[in-house]
Amino acid sequence: MPSTNQPLLQVNNLHIAFETERGLVRPVQGVSLDIYPGQTVALVGESGCGKSVTSLSILRLIPSPPGKVLDGQVILEGRGDLLKLPEKQMRSVRGKDIAMIFQEPMTSLNPVYTIGDQIVEAVKLHQNVSTRQAYAIAEDSLRDVGIADPRRRLHEYPHQMSGGMRQRVMIAMALSCQPRLLIADEPTTALDVTIQAQILELLRKLQKERGMAILLITHDLGVVAENADVVAVMYASRVVEFGTVEGIFDHPQHPYTKGLLRSVPTLGAPAGRLESIAGMVPNPARFPSGCKFHPRCPATRAAAAEAPADQTVQIATSEERFAVLKTCREIEPVLRQVKPTHWASCHLVENYASSAVTLPVLNHRRETQPPVAADATVKQELGPSRV
Amino acid sequence: MTQTTPAPMPPTAENSSAAPLLDVRDLRTWFPIHRGLLSRTVGHVKAVDGVSFTLQPGKTLGLVGESGCGKTTVGRTILRLIPRTSGQVLYRGNDFFAYRGEELRLLRRHMQIIFQDPVSSLNPRMTVGNIIGEPIQVHKIARGKERDQMVASLLQRVGLDPSYGDRYPHEFSGGQRQRIGIARALALSPDLIVCDEPVSALDVSIQSQILNLLDDLQRERNIAYLFIAHNLAVVEHFSDDVAVMYLGRIVEKAASRELYSNPKHPYTLSLLSAAPQPNPRPTKARIVLKGEVPSPSNPPTGCAFHPRCPLTREAARQANAADTVEISSGGERIRVLSKCVQQSPPLEPKQGNPNHIAACWVTT
Repeated sequence: MPSTNQPLLQVNNLHIAFETERGLVRPVQGVSLDIYPGQTVALVGESGCGKSVTSLSILRLIPSPPGKVLDGQVILEGRGDLLKLPEKQMRSVRGKDIAMIFQEPMTSLNPVYTIGDQIVEAVKLHQNVSTRQAYAIAEDSLRDVGIADPRRRLHEYPHQMSGGMRQRVMIAMALSCQPRLLIADEPTTALDVTIQAQILELLRKLQKERGMAILLITHDLGVVAENADVVAVMYASRVVEFGTVEGIFDHPQHPYTKGLLRSVPTLGAPAGRLESIAGMVPNPARFPSGCKFHPRCPATRAAAAEAPADQTVQIATSEERFAVLKTCREIEPVLRQVKPTHWASCHLVENYASSAVTLPVLNHRRETQPPVAADATVKQELGPSRV
Repeated sequence: MTQTTPAPMPPTAENSSAAPLLDVRDLRTWFPIHRGLLSRTVGHVKAVDGVSFTLQPGKTLGLVGESGCGKTTVGRTILRLIPRTSGQVLYRGNDFFAYRGEELRLLRRHMQIIFQDPVSSLNPRMTVGNIIGEPIQVHKIARGKERDQMVASLLQRVGLDPSYGDRYPHEFSGGQRQRIGIARALALSPDLIVCDEPVSALDVSIQSQILNLLDDLQRERNIAYLFIAHNLAVVEHFSDDVAVMYLGRIVEKAASRELYSNPKHPYTLSLLSAAPQPNPRPTKARIVLKGEVPSPSNPPTGCAFHPRCPLTREAARQANAADTVEISSGGERIRVLSKCVQQSPPLEPKQGNPNHIAACWVTT
């Protein structure tokens, strides 16, 4: 058993590029992450920010060409740098050490094989067991993910199941070989809220039982707030903010994170206009210069309004013209440790210039777990006493 | 286009200002299930099964529920994009289903729809100008240069550069495409827009831009929205009234604030509780419903929610054994109230508030 003080997976300064007709596109630049055993690290961001490319490159699932690793390491405890492993050894890492579940369970399951055949295939690939034993393992893993009547379900095909059930099968398959790390790429985005609650509850339970680490990739800030220990916010190919889940939600530092948190409508919040982030998510083929957020950033605009004219520069988007700080337009900020447990990359964050450039490492666990209600609570909540 | 073209009123004489813009009464949309060599009808998927509500001019009714609950079918049946099985839709007091031919075509100007997927709902071979201008031309409102001017002012109104009229949909991002879809819906100055999940395909930072735009347009032009979505926080933020649907029926309806602060149906409470909040220290316990939404082709008897309902289970624990019954749900045997299994609960006012209705045997 590895010590919990040693990171299970270290991603160091990862740079990924794609060769396209219009030149080199770089969707991941300088991403570093550490994941400890039993920890949930959330990678949050919008479409095109590089979160899925990061996760796929950990498992070396980026097709090459057109994709290539320009720089960086992915070190798995006990296996060394995954980016340098021969393909044959890499195959034994996938599924055995690191498993992955995807957003769309229908496209990830093979429609012409039964659920049982697909789980058994994974089990026999990684464990030296007979077919009969493999079916027993498959049945157990279906039972573990809360599927009723698992023996009968083994002989069903994916189309016979609902979306939530298929996602459970995906999880069962991913966990059948007891991986040390589960990469969950938008695991509940395609599901309804009540089913999402079931799946997240299941993942928390399995993580607790097995001490497995989870890399959770999502755009849903609610899912992050309730499940992550540590959060990395990505914007336009880089991690722009990194901290504990409490730190990120209580005291966001980067203007992008602040804008994201304010633009999400929350239940019970006063009505009125929502705050929004101007402009649009940049295309990886045409990232802006300097800080990639500067054309949308309210902080640099506000700062430019106060700054002397020689420190500002006029820029134009498709919608408007305005001034931003020259620094933001010209110099790309790097991740600096602005607080003991908080990293940010923004020239305008307090103490940014005087903070040290360090690798973001946090062996942190969240303070509270979301509690589950009993039937009696429901009655209480709906009772007349609430009026 | 701030100067809207006056749209002709429905041709019948029954217009009355007191009548709601839209009055939906006991609407049913059933889809037949065909089986066998002769395609005999062996049953029905009751996608919408007795839905009633009214919508006042310039107001927003939110329709929430999980996939398969029938919320999209309600929106499309009201616009006659899907044939109804029974029930009435009164538009300004007139029976919308009675219109035919030219009268119907004229009336359709007043009712528009915005779709979820901004990619598949715009024709990739048409320029943006033609996409937005086509309804203007079809309804003979303007042609040629005048039409192009209207398109330019619509584009400007939804926050796009007027020169974009010559471009094609693929040149735009998701948020911009949704703005194009909104401009197309506005082109005929409607007084009702069915918004079918208008922001769920968009990035988080773009969603609030689109919601704010829809909000401004409503104030400016007194448009009523039927706002269909699965995201409760978005619906709460956006709607005056909210109706919650489960398996083809409305199970609870109230003013937005009231519904969220004082839910009466256990399904509404579970939905509210299941939505993850951006708070790292969740305080309220999460209600995790067992099982899944049953198939609308074979809904449970009585109250359709009973196999998943935590409230009837709790009530059954305290009731006389004679009033309860054991059922199987999600592979488990559970005990529920017999009444919930046998009879469908009426949608009735709760706690004497006539504007807060819910369909549940257990809550009061």
